[in-house]
Amino acid sequence: MRTGDYKQTYGELVALVDSPPVWLWSVVLVLALIGAPYALNAYALSFVTIILITVVGALGLNILTGYTGLISLGHVGFLVTGAYAYAILVSKYQMHPLVGFLGAGVVPALASLIVGAPSLRLKGLYLAITTLAFSFIINTVILEARTLTNGARGIAVQRPELFGISFDSDVAFTWLCLGFAIATLFATLNIRRSRVGRAFVAIRDNDTAARVMGINLHAYKLLAFVTSAFITGISGALYGIYLSFVSVEGFPFLLSIEALAILIVGGLGSALGAVLGTVLIVLLPEATRLVFSLFSAQMDALFSTGAQELKSMLYGLAIILFLRFQPRGLVGVWHDLRRTWVHWPLRY
Amino acid sequence: MQYFTQLVISGLAIGAIYGLIAMGFAVIYKSTGLVNFAQGEMTMIVAYIAWTISTTVSGNLLVVTIAAIIAAVVLGLVVERLVMRPMLGEPLFATVMVTIGLAVILRSSINFIWDAYPHGLDVGFGRDIVRVGTIGVRTGQIAVIATLLVLLAAIWAFFRYSKFGVAMRAVAADDRTALLMGISAPRVHAAAWAASSVIAGIAGVFFAISYDLSPAMFQLGLKAFPATILGGLDAVLGSGVGGLLIGITENLAGGYFGSGMKEVAGFLMIIVVLMIRPFGIFGDRDIERV
Amino acid sequence: MNKYLASASLLFASVLLSDGPTLAQQGITDTEIVIGDVEPLTGPPALLGVAASIGHKIAIAEANNAGGINGRKIKYVLEDDGYVTARTIQGVKKVIEVDKAFAMLGISGSGQSIAVMPVLEKAGIPTVIDVAPVKFLWEPPRKNVFVVGQSYEEGIIHLVKYLADKNPNKKWGLITQDDDYGITVRDGFDSVVKEKKLKVVYSGNYKKGQQDFSSDMLQLKDSGAEVFLAGGIIAENIAMMKELEKLNVKPVTGIFWPGRVEPVLKLMGPAGDGIYAVDYVEPFAGEAGKAFLEKAKPLVSEAEFKGINRYTMSGYAAAKVLISAIERCGKQPTWACTISELEKTKNVETGVMAPISFGPGVRFSNQKLQIIRADFSTLSFKPVN
Repeated sequence: MRTGDYKQTYGELVALVDSPPVWLWSVVLVLALIGAPYALNAYALSFVTIILITVVGALGLNILTGYTGLISLGHVGFLVTGAYAYAILVSKYQMHPLVGFLGAGVVPALASLIVGAPSLRLKGLYLAITTLAFSFIINTVILEARTLTNGARGIAVQRPELFGISFDSDVAFTWLCLGFAIATLFATLNIRRSRVGRAFVAIRDNDTAARVMGINLHAYKLLAFVTSAFITGISGALYGIYLSFVSVEGFPFLLSIEALAILIVGGLGSALGAVLGTVLIVLLPEATRLVFSLFSAQMDALFSTGAQELKSMLYGLAIILFLRFQPRGLVGVWHDLRRTWVHWPLRY
Repeated sequence: MQYFTQLVISGLAIGAIYGLIAMGFAVIYKSTGLVNFAQGEMTMIVAYIAWTISTTVSGNLLVVTIAAIIAAVVLGLVVERLVMRPMLGEPLFATVMVTIGLAVILRSSINFIWDAYPHGLDVGFGRDIVRVGTIGVRTGQIAVIATLLVLLAAIWAFFRYSKFGVAMRAVAADDRTALLMGISAPRVHAAAWAASSVIAGIAGVFFAISYDLSPAMFQLGLKAFPATILGGLDAVLGSGVGGLLIGITENLAGGYFGSGMKEVAGFLMIIVVLMIRPFGIFGDRDIERV
Repeated sequence: MNKYLASASLLFASVLLSDGPTLAQQGITDTEIVIGDVEPLTGPPALLGVAASIGHKIAIAEANNAGGINGRKIKYVLEDDGYVTARTIQGVKKVIEVDKAFAMLGISGSGQSIAVMPVLEKAGIPTVIDVAPVKFLWEPPRKNVFVVGQSYEEGIIHLVKYLADKNPNKKWGLITQDDDYGITVRDGFDSVVKEKKLKVVYSGNYKKGQQDFSSDMLQLKDSGAEVFLAGGIIAENIAMMKELEKLNVKPVTGIFWPGRVEPVLKLMGPAGDGIYAVDYVEPFAGEAGKAFLEKAKPLVSEAEFKGINRYTMSGYAAAKVLISAIERCGKQPTWACTISELEKTKNVETGVMAPISFGPGVRFSNQKLQIIRADFSTLSFKPVN
């Protein structure tokens, strides 16, 4: 019987998982996801794909917002930069898709360097403001750089072929996304365990103390921002491939907000939270549809008169309610459940 | 020269609207320390309510104005009481995200309650064109510039002389000390939200008179945001002036470099401002560097 | 009659043979047939999405009131994409995979329909597109995707040529939106400029969602343009016309069909009087338009009736074409048959636009265009001859 969280060595504190069964269940989950495409129809599968792509982006933002405590209101800017970098390299210049993915990470990372260097020197909401500005400016840049980006025409993107495997079918593409999601998950979990990750968290929790401990605030904040942009860019490339067509239109400002909502709903600063939040936010429209159909089977008449907007309103409401009543997010709910399960029938 | 003058004048007209909304941002920031990302949406809602009143009750200018102000006060108070007050004491990030959630809800309510068609707000005023030489301005545009100036003066006097204004400044400066001095912070917050909603609402109504109502109107909030950064997030008067400056900059950029530049001119300006004077032209110099 | 029966049974037999054991196609039961659609129903683009869906509903209600398609009632499944491309893709997948639609109408904006082409092609579901006809949708022709309408490019060419012939040797101004729609408008315009050697003195490009057009219109005025092509959609065109009124200039103005909805004229005020527009659907002020409204009134709710605009007409026409094709397939319609019947569509009258035809390898109905002109006194568009 597990009795509590006793950590006796530093090694235990930074362990990837806190108990062996977690490994077992993770493997089960991964196997289930690999098998999922065979059991699900194309519609359900598209949710799995979207969730996996979004998880990559959410984990990227989590490094910045969750670990380091900095807000970005324009992460869609890095998403679109990544998608364009991939599309230009692969579709226009016929480079290898792996080069494309690398570019999709590096180009946004460079952009984040430019945005981050001046604004990260300031405390408070300033990064949020600059990133917001960036996400609008980058759209104009993309539209103006016609020779490179085709301007408003956009670029068509084919599903890639890697290591001799074609990822053209929906099933194979889901696996590709799964691969990226797992890799990102491991990367962010390991960053969190490392010296760098602990520095990020120290900055978030108390920047004065962090500085006293010898952490170069500006450098580490910038590092968090660049890493975050790199991962988000790769998610953007996957998203572009999923859309099969990269244009500024496909990346509305709303995605920035959605990414933040994912972190809040999931639980800030936790990789598990980012995953849970993604699942909930992506499935939220589907869930509200379900709720609606419970109330009445004849919603069709209402659909044309604006009841559709109710769904987006519920989305906003979900953000507010989570912040108000469950600020620790889904991951908090999960921890509570787990504790109750382990300690039952005792309370503590 | 005439081209330039006309650009500046139409820049002032749209800039006055940005300025009003920017003042709305600043009023809330100054008294509660947070950026209200639902400012543009509140602007839009008040304008739509004014339009509903003008088409159902009376198109009289006075009736619409008074009703719109009442509606704005109610909106501000309801938002503060139901959404913001429960968040008192929560981390800044959470509170700011709540305003984003609020923005999503308000934005959707437009199509839910009204529709997606553009509408004209007709109060029998503001559409006529005044011509000086070859330069034309609508009366509504003159009125909004005048309103901005009057409000700037009124707000300056309010913060300087009225007891409540001083109380608001006290809460902004140090809410705990203010509390000990017997100032009710919730009441100050409520007043700030109501005031911000009214100022933004006025901007919305004027925009609807000079231009039109459409569900895309919330973007005014995004356009006004650079104005408040330029003027200083905590400077109510500065934000008003910042609006005028952004309006002129945008129009000059559009007039001399083309429309592509016009829409991002404000955002480019934000970046420049943050680099050289992050607290804005009129803001308090208490920015911490790291 | 006998001959008809014979050919029907022949067709039936050939369908049986070609499709083998999987006779029952998805989306069909003994009493029902499902038609799917994905449109923007939220946010500002709802203006076109909702209107188009109302058009589909009118045609479907009409067919159902007449007993359905060979006894089967049509069930209409409508999904919202909020004009977000990823959600359009998901919506189409849902309609096909979960709701098991038999055929599709729609679909959302131009960028969105381009993005769902691979999905539609892979599924092979008969689809009639009506909202945003752009060249990428029928070039190259896809077996199962049909487009009712006329390309933006052709529309602009028609309008510009008309205005050029009417106003020879004048200076031209143009402003377009900075997206794929704007690019197509610009391409069309440029091709006429080359052909007719027009003198273009102003060429602007505005950002999607722009609300203040003062500097753009001032540039237009400053350039001395006498003929002006306003490439805005709805709110943008209104703002431009009002700005021109303020600047005290009134060039000959042409607008494009996405902006041609009647409330626009009211909002433009006198400034909008006499502007030209091009479209392939009938104006509501004409005989055909009035008849359409008359027909629509009992079939839709009051709120829906208010939402009717030109997209309702194009949606109605597309739904009509699809329904009649399925109908011609007889008792057991299949995808293969519906597609071949759609291909055989020849001069189908819809009452809202010129007769519609497709053909072997022709997936685009290439509707006839007409020039119409705004009349402020009646707040309507009237045909020009």
